[in-house]
Amino acid sequence: MPRLLKKIHGDWQICDVAETPWIAQDEWRAGSALQVSVDAEPSTDWLDASSIAIDFPAMTDGRGLSLAVLLRNRLGYRGELVARGSVHQDIVHFLARCGFDAIELPDEERLETALKWIDPHTGYYQPSVISSESTLTSAN
Amino acid sequence: MRALTAEGFKAQVDEEWAAINHEQGAVPAAELNRLSAFFAPPSFAELDNASELLGTQRLENPAFNRWMKHNVHPHRVSGYSVVTLSTKATGMPPGDVSSDQMDAVASWADSYGFGEIRISHEQNFVLPHIPQDKLYALWQQADAIGLGHFNAGLISDMICCPGGDYCSLANAKSLPVAEAIQRRFADYDYQHDLGSLDLNISGCMNACGHHHVGHIGILGVDKKGQEFYQISLGGHAGHSGEAPRLGQIIGPSVAREEVCDVIEKVIQVYLGLRFEGETFLSCFNRIGILPFKESIYAKAA
Repeated sequence: MPRLLKKIHGDWQICDVAETPWIAQDEWRAGSALQVSVDAEPSTDWLDASSIAIDFPAMTDGRGLSLAVLLRNRLGYRGELVARGSVHQDIVHFLARCGFDAIELPDEERLETALKWIDPHTGYYQPSVISSESTLTSAN
Repeated sequence: MRALTAEGFKAQVDEEWAAINHEQGAVPAAELNRLSAFFAPPSFAELDNASELLGTQRLENPAFNRWMKHNVHPHRVSGYSVVTLSTKATGMPPGDVSSDQMDAVASWADSYGFGEIRISHEQNFVLPHIPQDKLYALWQQADAIGLGHFNAGLISDMICCPGGDYCSLANAKSLPVAEAIQRRFADYDYQHDLGSLDLNISGCMNACGHHHVGHIGILGVDKKGQEFYQISLGGHAGHSGEAPRLGQIIGPSVAREEVCDVIEKVIQVYLGLRFEGETFLSCFNRIGILPFKESIYAKAA
């Protein structure tokens, strides 16, 4: 049973979940769980996925974050969005702000540390996928 | 990119730009107003330019006259000037000042200049709003504690990093190079004749001395454990209104004891080929790097 970080009713927690049968883009059919690579062109077909995973090929590759923003903001995807692959624990906070609501780490022992840093700040100047609030607006 | 073409790329950028929600990231007007309040100009007095007084003072004191010429720049408000206090005394690390000097600069800023001090990228102090009738008093006090050098913008007003003497990143020392060049070109009339010249020295490729945007740039490199210096020409930082440009490396790097001779040759080429009133940079732009290369590497070629 894989352990991962999951956002449940707005709260991030470490959860044990059943293995998801991810299917790569070229074999995927509507209704099943879709796994895409970071260089995929987002398509409205994806809105019919039961869940979408973005596969990070390397810890230095940030395209998965951009793709997540496109999925959430442009396509209006509201379903589960999972970060998998070479995901480094240092970026979980950014993954959360880009709209991921589940994060797998290659090393499950790092989940505790990652959870500590997933929402470290009380306010942001810049709005994000998960919040249109800016502390600049609320301060004035 | 070739297949996409510049127009195709531009269309994609425009399309993406149109899709972005610009209002969401906009800084609210109230916040902008709050921030701009920090940059309000000081309450200037209505002063006339003190041309007559300064004229007399300049005639009486040649050193003050030179300082006025190089270190004092026009202000947009009449009766005020912008003052550069040079930290480039020969033999002192460029940009180093003592706590006493800092205290003094702070008190001058308070008594003459609305409490404002800026540090320039040329490693000097700038007092941006000094009333013209206070310039002489300011210069006398500055000169008394080693901050009255009249070399702003000249070859001895070089930008130089701390180099191998103080910095653990450095590949080579830079301070002795700076000092040797200052000594070689110590004569004021000679410096004055060379005119405005940016000479920038970095002791390694981290480039704290901005060597690649110096009219003359010197970069310390490590060659099998030995300190060598790569010299480049024609860089500039863009403060003349043109786009900034990186200098061109003149050729193989040289040992420390040769640096001064190479700089001297560069200067000689410029002096020999310049038109009347032509700055080093304009002259370089006109003649290119070749005449300099030929002069420096004549024997090796």
